[in-house]
Amino acid sequence: MEITKSKINDIVIFSLKGRMDTTTAPQMQDQLLVAIGSGEKRLAIDCAQLEYISSAGLRALLMAAKQLKNVNGKIVLYSLKAHIREVFDLAGFSAAFPLFNSQADALASFKS
Amino acid sequence: MSMQMTVSFKNQLEEIERLGQIVTEFAQRHHWSSHLLFEVNVALEELLTNVISYAYEDNNEHDIILRLSFTDGEVTAELEDDGRPFNPLEAAEPDVNTPLEDRPVGGLGIYLARKFMTDMSYKRQEEKNLLILKKTVKEEH
Repeated sequence: MEITKSKINDIVIFSLKGRMDTTTAPQMQDQLLVAIGSGEKRLAIDCAQLEYISSAGLRALLMAAKQLKNVNGKIVLYSLKAHIREVFDLAGFSAAFPLFNSQADALASFKS
Repeated sequence: MSMQMTVSFKNQLEEIERLGQIVTEFAQRHHWSSHLLFEVNVALEELLTNVISYAYEDNNEHDIILRLSFTDGEVTAELEDDGRPFNPLEAAEPDVNTPLEDRPVGGLGIYLARKFMTDMSYKRQEEKNLLILKKTVKEEH
């Protein structure tokens, strides 16, 4: 999995490409927790090129969400492919994580 | 038409990457849809990860055997390990309606595997765990 980090205003964007599985999810979890640890409170995950996710990926996101909750931060995801979205739905993560169809919608959600 | 393949994995998490490659090749050879490949790959990853992470009390190398077949529109996967007795069908299901912050961090993997496969059965025989997974392929249009 490739992870590309960028920033728009005070929102940190992690763009994921490839497979987030048992062996690659810890990399993402580390990057998210490092960002949160350094004071970032607004995180957005770009899933447009994410091809695969298993429970390890969900767990990494959950760890980040729990950390952000402590500092009144927020994590959102956008541009999920249909089969990735299916995993979120099955696991009950769709209700727990704000999911958006586009980057513009995801970034706008931080303004309200 | 029947197609079968047997693969052996070591009890190391790095094997999950090889599992993905093997299942992808099998799927391409048998013209599976990308959706079918995804669901079978996730189910097998979750169960193999569980075995590698929790089945062994020693630090020795172990072989975990996967037999994968595709016959008359049905995928059958058998996963065999010589670890401690563990029946995933008896594992507690997570409450997916619990608010995120109250969720335990584990438990989702077996749940996803059961959702993605049509049927799962477990046997303990000759000091080994044998999991048999089946998935009936729906026609996709």
